[in-house]
Amino acid sequence: MGAFYSIFNGLFGTREMRILILGLDGAGKTTILYRLQVGEVVTTIPTIGFNVETVTYKKLKFQVWDLGGQTSIRPYWRCYYSNTDAIIYVVDSSDRDRMGISKSELVAMLEEEELKKAILVVFANKQDMEQAMTPTEVANALGLPALKDRKWQIFKTSALKGHGLDEGMEWLVDSLNNRQ
Amino acid sequence: MFAKLKKKIAEEAATAPRSGVRIPRTISKESITSMGADSGDDFASDGSSSRDDLPAQLLRRNDQIRKLEAKLSDYAEQLRIMQKTKEKLEIALEKHQDSSIKKLQEQNDSHQASRAKLAEGMALALEKKDQEWMEKMASVEKEKAALSGRIEEMMEQSLALFQKRDDLDELEGFQQQELAKVKHMLLRKEELLSQREQELQQKEAEVQSAKRSLSEARGRLQALERQHEDSQRLNSEFEIEREELLLLREEADKKISELEARCQDLQSVIQQVSEDFQKSQSMVSALEKSLHDLQSEHDALKLQQQKAAVTEEEKERSLADLQKKVTSLERRLQGNLSQDEHLQELLQEKSSLEQSLEESRAELLAVRTNHADTVSSLEAQVSRMSCSITELQTLLRHKDDSSRAYRERTDTQIADLERQVSESGERLKSAEQQLTEKQQQLEKLQGEWSAEKAFLDQQLCLLEQQSQEKAGRLEDSIGSLETEKRTLADRVADLEKQAVETNRSLQQRTEELEQCRAELSSRQTVSTEIAKALEESRRQKEELQMQMGEMTTSLQASYLDLSTTRETLTQREEDVRTLQDEVQTRQASLLQLQEEAERLRAQLEQTEQDKETQLRQLQEELLSQTQQLDGYQARISYLEVEVETLTEQLHSPEVCEEDQNGSVTVDDLDHIQKVNRELEQQLSDKNRTIKQLQQRLAELKRTLQKELKLKPEPEAEGKEKLQESRAEKAERVCPEPPAPLPPPPPASSPSPPTSNTTVTNTSDLNDSREINFEYLKHVVLKFMSCREAEAFQLIRAVSVLLNFTREEEDMLKQTLEYKMSWFGSKPSPKGIIRPSISGTPSHWS
Repeated sequence: MGAFYSIFNGLFGTREMRILILGLDGAGKTTILYRLQVGEVVTTIPTIGFNVETVTYKKLKFQVWDLGGQTSIRPYWRCYYSNTDAIIYVVDSSDRDRMGISKSELVAMLEEEELKKAILVVFANKQDMEQAMTPTEVANALGLPALKDRKWQIFKTSALKGHGLDEGMEWLVDSLNNRQ
Repeated sequence: MFAKLKKKIAEEAATAPRSGVRIPRTISKESITSMGADSGDDFASDGSSSRDDLPAQLLRRNDQIRKLEAKLSDYAEQLRIMQKTKEKLEIALEKHQDSSIKKLQEQNDSHQASRAKLAEGMALALEKKDQEWMEKMASVEKEKAALSGRIEEMMEQSLALFQKRDDLDELEGFQQQELAKVKHMLLRKEELLSQREQELQQKEAEVQSAKRSLSEARGRLQALERQHEDSQRLNSEFEIEREELLLLREEADKKISELEARCQDLQSVIQQVSEDFQKSQSMVSALEKSLHDLQSEHDALKLQQQKAAVTEEEKERSLADLQKKVTSLERRLQGNLSQDEHLQELLQEKSSLEQSLEESRAELLAVRTNHADTVSSLEAQVSRMSCSITELQTLLRHKDDSSRAYRERTDTQIADLERQVSESGERLKSAEQQLTEKQQQLEKLQGEWSAEKAFLDQQLCLLEQQSQEKAGRLEDSIGSLETEKRTLADRVADLEKQAVETNRSLQQRTEELEQCRAELSSRQTVSTEIAKALEESRRQKEELQMQMGEMTTSLQASYLDLSTTRETLTQREEDVRTLQDEVQTRQASLLQLQEEAERLRAQLEQTEQDKETQLRQLQEELLSQTQQLDGYQARISYLEVEVETLTEQLHSPEVCEEDQNGSVTVDDLDHIQKVNRELEQQLSDKNRTIKQLQQRLAELKRTLQKELKLKPEPEAEGKEKLQESRAEKAERVCPEPPAPLPPPPPASSPSPPTSNTTVTNTSDLNDSREINFEYLKHVVLKFMSCREAEAFQLIRAVSVLLNFTREEEDMLKQTLEYKMSWFGSKPSPKGIIRPSISGTPSHWS
């Protein structure tokens, strides 16, 4: 099926890159998604379910899935893992208490066979907060340096201010282009 | 993540059968249905008996219902027990979580230890980097020095270039000044030339005017010559007149002499005429005498003529007698016919006589003619004589007249001639007077003429002199003009030469100019090159400055980096120190922990044993449950059969059955059937949970084995971790009470399931269900509303949420592929009619 899908898309223009935005609830995934799509900050409610939008960045089309991060619906993340090109893992840098949960979710996710080839971009979000952890701290807290066979990068972002998203997307586009 | 839900369900399922204390809402229904089923079973079994037995049967069935209710209460209790166990398990879980958190903390410690190591390494690396930086700094400073030297050189070069430029500018100024001078000189020369040319033109104009005056003078001279010639001609004419006048005098003299001669002639003629007159008078007397003679002769001749005329008349009378004799003879001959011979002789005598007559007549004639002639001649002579006499007489008369007239005439002529002579003498005198006058006039004229001539000569001389002077002057002026011309020509030549020279000099100058221009252009090119070089050097300089700036900025940045790195280094060092302290403390705690670990290991072994026993118990429980389930199923099938028979019975006796019980039983039956179905569903759910539990068990087993395999690894930390994890597990498992033992598990299923480390959910079951429902709603809504490509990705989520089988999921995918592609046949909707019954739902993991 995946082969068919890729052939289908190969026949009709560039394939849409499939990107998942994951992270704990309240990390700012939906805000990031709409910041990427319309470039504005939207008022969001907790996502029960998911949001899917098509985002065009540097002539590349992305099918971006923002999956709800609440505890009860986190198990359903894995339903969306197939054919994923990249994961944007959003972390609330100011939430030091739930960093461990975030890490365990990330580790569990990265062990999935379907995501073996997915590129990982970590957004250390909410950098505008005073008590925000630095990206290195976040990276260490998530155990990113220990990752092997994984292309990853961490970016400090602020979805509200719009900082760092472009850099992250640029890196993502470059690495996606290099991968192909 | 999802497993925890399943686990919960499994726990629920596991506890449910055991509980018999509490009777939840669902289970009460179940009990009722089961009792109904039971009764139905009885009813079915006794369907063949008579109607009288029905109350008994009903009683029996009531008993059965009661029994079933009791059983149901047992189930409820079992459920309660299960819930208790669940709570306990949850407590255990929390404990396990705590332990896991501890483990994590330890892991963090280890990580920090590694970080310390890393920090050391970093410190070393930093020092190295520091040194490198210092070297780099030194090199950069060297570079900077070199660059500053280069900049100075460039500055000197630029200064030299500026000087060169200034020189160039000066040179250009000089060149321009020289050029201006040359141009000025040229202009002045040109002005001079134009002045000279103007002068020349003026001189030429003067020359032309002089020439014009010369030609005028010549014209005047010619006019004077002409006048001279006219005067000469007049002179000659005057001379000719004089000569003519002299000739006239001579002619007049000659005429006078002629007239005198003629006078003398005329006087002699007059004498001759008078002599002639005398002679003619004598002749007239002679002639009058001859005329008297001639008149006498003429009278004599007239008498002879009268005598010749009387003889002739006598001869003619003899002839007429002879002719009368011839006529008488002839009449005789005629009267004598026969006498012929006598006749002939007579005729002959007659002819002879006639001949003699004629001869006598001819002789008479001749004599008469002679006589006539002589008479006529004499008459002519007489007439002539008379004529001549008359003529002579007239002549005489005429001569008398003429002599008289002549005389008169001669007299008048003489008088006239004398008058004429006197007149001519007078005329002569007047002529002489005229002549003298004329001569005087002539003399006067000559004098005048000579005077005029002299005057004219003088004038001429003057004019000539003037003209000569003029000519001389003109010649002089011509000469001067020529000299001037020559000088002018010379000057022109000089000027031309000068012009040529100036041209040459101009050419030279232009050449020089061109050379200068070429030089200038070359200089300009050189200067442009220099400028370019300057610009390049400037650019280089700017670049160098920029490089310098960059270098300085980089230097500053590096300084900053260095300072920051130093700060970080110091921080790190502090960190390292603190970490080392921590490490030391940690090591101390590690020792404690190791001790604890040993303790825990012992505990773990114990717990393992306990677990194994628990597992066994659980398995037994499971077995018993399955057995129970089998029994239930058997009973259910039995009951179903009963129910069917009962329904059959019911359908058959429906007509006759009219009492209340019958209707109640029908309702009961329906109710029972419903309950039955629910029970069946519950059964299938439980079967599913059992399977999930078995899978979970297998996973747990695998993880346990992995951990056990990892155990003998030499790394202390890993060991510790494992030990910790094991200890945690033991801790978590330990407090689980073994009291609500499940029925014996099946032989295939190994140790009982333990919760996964990823489980984080602590929320209430109902809440999660609500959220799940909401989630399902959202996903289905999206699945139905979104694009096909996106819907394709949602199949998995939908099928997971709705517990689709793999076939159903595949079918969904096929239909979506069919929708997405333009070709291909629509897949047959297999298994869509009975989705929940046709095959056990396969788990998607």
